[in-house]
Amino acid sequence: MKKISFLICLLLPQILHADITKTASPETQLIEWKLVEQNFELSIIQRLPDQTYSFFAARGFPKHISHNIANSCVFQTIIRNNSKDKNQSIDVSLKKWHIKINNKTQPLKLKKVWDKEWQQSDIKPASKLAFRWATLPTEQNYEPSGDYNWGMISFGPKPGSIFDLYIEWQINNQKNSTWIKNIICPTNR
Amino acid sequence: MKQYQFIIYFLVLFLSSNIIYAKKLITPLTNKPAAVNFKLLDMDGKTHQLSDYKGQPIIINFWATWCPPCREELPSMNRAWAKVKSQGIAMIAINVGEDEDTIFTFTGDYPIDFTILLDQSGEIINQWPIKGLPTTFVIDPQGRIVYRAIGGREWDSEELLNIVRALKTKPSN
Repeated sequence: MKKISFLICLLLPQILHADITKTASPETQLIEWKLVEQNFELSIIQRLPDQTYSFFAARGFPKHISHNIANSCVFQTIIRNNSKDKNQSIDVSLKKWHIKINNKTQPLKLKKVWDKEWQQSDIKPASKLAFRWATLPTEQNYEPSGDYNWGMISFGPKPGSIFDLYIEWQINNQKNSTWIKNIICPTNR
Repeated sequence: MKQYQFIIYFLVLFLSSNIIYAKKLITPLTNKPAAVNFKLLDMDGKTHQLSDYKGQPIIINFWATWCPPCREELPSMNRAWAKVKSQGIAMIAINVGEDEDTIFTFTGDYPIDFTILLDQSGEIINQWPIKGLPTTFVIDPQGRIVYRAIGGREWDSEELLNIVRALKTKPSN
């Protein structure tokens, strides 16, 4: 009987549906929120404003713009399709995501919004290119052959803010959604 | 005894399903679009065109030095290159938006023995069906995109390389 219990314990974590986990990196103390729902896997990981500032300043962005990006609650994001079923395609549109902060909802600060802000700024094309490819695509399809993507997302609020994030994704055109509560925009240390 | 046999049978089934699950390969593109030709410089200033490689399968990887999954998969691509370079398969890494110096420094830590091309202006990546880095395409000998991988893969896996090798022997329809 003990052996049976042992085997059940071995299988249990795989059978149970996981939900949202929150873990802090032992090295950096930065927090990762991870959602695993069916075959959709999402990780959002805090980035320090200094870290984001350095990244964009090193790619030629003017100081004040690097500062603006860094202070817009930028997270590293990873999205995966973990499906075993070759027909299970996942679509994500960040236009459908929003945040709730101080009882108000607001959209994410997407690439299009940044581009509009920078219309009058003298930003080098190479810098804009780095921004484009370093940020998560606004819309993307993830096929079940192990497709994943990563990139930065700017949620918008100032460092130290706490917000809830509404997430939506489609599996074979069927809508799924959930909330991740109490996400913290990190402050510099 | 029968109870244990059932458990062992279940366990074998479960583990084998996980092994299958771990085999993450690449997505076949059913419409097989023609790969857009490019004309780009390599690290030595030599011009390369996609059409130069027609007649052989090509693995084309779009990447940047600052992209963590690119850094993770490049060593496996380099190992894959060591396996296929004498087998009539070409491999190209197209760097997006960076200069020779940045790439040269990077390759000190992450050796890349196959051709690196520079798409400094991002003109070529904009013409290809790409939304994120890294994205890798497999082009068949007829110049059509037949497979795509979004995100990194273990390119030196024999199972994955056999998919590419098969393009040499049987033309994809």
